[in-house]
Amino acid sequence: MTTAHPPVPPAGGLPYDADFALDPPLALTQTRTRRLVLRWIWTSTAFLGIAGVLGLLLRLGQAEFISLDGNLWYAIMTAHGLGAFIAWAGFFLMGISWWVLFKCGFPIRSFILPELTYWTMVIGVLGIVVTTLLGGFGGSWVFLYPLAFNSSGQWSDLVTGVFSASVLLAGVSILAYCAGVLHTVISPALKAEKDTLGQRIGLAFGFGLLWPSRFKTKRGVEPYPVLPLAVNALDMFLATLPFALLLVFQIIQSADSGFSINTLLAGNLLWAFGHPVVYLLLFPAAATYYYLIPRYAGRPLVAGRAVAVSWLIALTFNLFVWAHHLYMNYPDGNDVQETLGTIMQPTTYALVLPSAMSLFSLAATIWRSDFQWNAASKFLIAGAISWLVAGLQGIINATSAFQDTLHNTLWVVGHFHNMAFLNMGLLIFGAMYAFLPELTGRPHFNERLGSWHLWGTVIGAYGWVVCQMWQGLDGAPRRWSRLPETYMDLTRLSLVFLAILVIAQIIFLVNLYTTLRRSPFDDPSVRQGPEVKQ
Amino acid sequence: MTSLGMGIGIGYMIFVVLGLIITAVVLYSTKRGRRDKGEGVDIGKAERAEPWWALFIVILLGVLLAFTIWRAPWFQDNGPGQRVQVTGIQFGWAVQPTSVKVNQPVQFNVTALDVNHAMGLFDPQGRLIMNVQAVPDYTTTRTHTFTEPGTYIIRCFEFCGYQHHKMIYPAFKVTA
Ligand SMILES: [Cu+2]
Ligand SMILES: [Cu+2]
Repeated sequence: MTTAHPPVPPAGGLPYDADFALDPPLALTQTRTRRLVLRWIWTSTAFLGIAGVLGLLLRLGQAEFISLDGNLWYAIMTAHGLGAFIAWAGFFLMGISWWVLFKCGFPIRSFILPELTYWTMVIGVLGIVVTTLLGGFGGSWVFLYPLAFNSSGQWSDLVTGVFSASVLLAGVSILAYCAGVLHTVISPALKAEKDTLGQRIGLAFGFGLLWPSRFKTKRGVEPYPVLPLAVNALDMFLATLPFALLLVFQIIQSADSGFSINTLLAGNLLWAFGHPVVYLLLFPAAATYYYLIPRYAGRPLVAGRAVAVSWLIALTFNLFVWAHHLYMNYPDGNDVQETLGTIMQPTTYALVLPSAMSLFSLAATIWRSDFQWNAASKFLIAGAISWLVAGLQGIINATSAFQDTLHNTLWVVGHFHNMAFLNMGLLIFGAMYAFLPELTGRPHFNERLGSWHLWGTVIGAYGWVVCQMWQGLDGAPRRWSRLPETYMDLTRLSLVFLAILVIAQIIFLVNLYTTLRRSPFDDPSVRQGPEVKQ
Repeated sequence: MTSLGMGIGIGYMIFVVLGLIITAVVLYSTKRGRRDKGEGVDIGKAERAEPWWALFIVILLGVLLAFTIWRAPWFQDNGPGQRVQVTGIQFGWAVQPTSVKVNQPVQFNVTALDVNHAMGLFDPQGRLIMNVQAVPDYTTTRTHTFTEPGTYIIRCFEFCGYQHHKMIYPAFKVTA
């Protein structure tokens, strides 16, 4: 593959890539990055295929159109959750971060960490697939301690050990990713006027926006996409450690059945990771928005200090919200969980700010712009609307007073599919439409098929998600392979929407296939990426 | 659906509709943007509005917090009453006693013997009225006053293994 399409700064100039020129070593990095990111995209998309089929089986089972015996349904549920959230969405967004960083003028500084990220994830995911679908591990992705060791004869402690080790490998992947991103953002590419480590760290976390006289960069304005990536990398590195500890405990216990830990401690270790991991998806998604939307709007991101403040709030509070997943754990004589719950409702509310400020910035950037509408930008906008729609649900879920009604119902399942599939997922498709032409050197997608893909996905997925949330508000429990009879009609209705969703993805695959089959850029009318006006 | 569930749904929809109207206005503005090549707008104005938007969000969330935090389940009055011991074990419920009197407080003491379960209590109309975690080695206490006699159902609300969906206690009686 040749380096045929160097990034070209747009007419009018966007501040952070205006001086982005390719010297020879950078061109080599570009080729390597492109190959890496492409491999990453294909792998994570394959994981989507697997996880998607598994999800479909779950709903078909609940509708009693197919029969999945007791434990198999739950084993599939475990594989589906980890597969869709981590192996598809999380993994894709980790991969695309490298390209967004590159496009902002932050080439990967060392390929060791990104490669380690890639391979540990792939091996970890394979281990998860084997231990769940073949080994029968059906403890759900949260495997609420001590469930993994109380399988009622459905799987052995050995399987629990191997499963825990596989998830731990995925954790190592996240650690490597975070280290790699931190290494890359704190780089000479920041062009700090005083090039010290302190200056670089400050700039990477947005201090240059807050104290422009103290933290100066020769770039003029520091690139906004770097902020959410840096924040996520630091937080996710810290948040993965307690979870890794929990997994190590489980591995020890699987070898030595005399070993055990406190259930509440285990819950806290789990959720100290389990909340921030949402932002392993959302924050790189935000970075991609910050990068792409200005290109379609033809003007720099409209943002000021409040955005930088909100990302510092995210950096701080992200690590202190986990107990909102433990709101219902307030056993007698245990004031710790009650206190944590009381504190972590407001800290969770604080995390609304980065989303609210991002949506404001994106809206202001789009406002009365000469916006370029195509498959990529339409997917991005649809995803941003879901950011709002699902984000509002998040505020409801963060409210402890509502938990008698919402806790562990399908409302929650509907909510995170609205977030993960219809916000991050649509952004992922948008990013594929936006970046694949320049990554593969193949002409742009068929726009009409792209539109069908969009509408099929939005109608199908919203139909299904609304069914689930409605069932949940009506008291339908989550993680039930067979729901009480009253919920059957909506379960079956949701399958109609899921069929639309599946058809839309087939359209996407056809579009992808025909796009890739074309010879590289044989069509002169084709744009190679959103930023190039020929 | 409970009145709280209904309230959440309606309140949520109001905000969604408002948000969608604003979104539609923003997207529609690109029509005008097309005509004036995106140059008919004062970006500085939007930048100055940013902190006010942040303040608006903070106030909104502050109001919600002030109204809801006192209603957290752990701040509920878990005082004495007719005591009912509820114990979860894979895959069933031990409930003692199995019937209580209407209009008198009932104190539920909920625990589990093996893994985490949760008591999802459904009223005779099939509405989820209470959700109490059953944690091994701990007891969680909640007090509830039933206002309606009839047969209540407990469904397990914390995933506990391959028969989780069969973990139902079908006949908890509230008598007049
Ligand atoms: Cu959370
Ligand atoms: Cu259960």
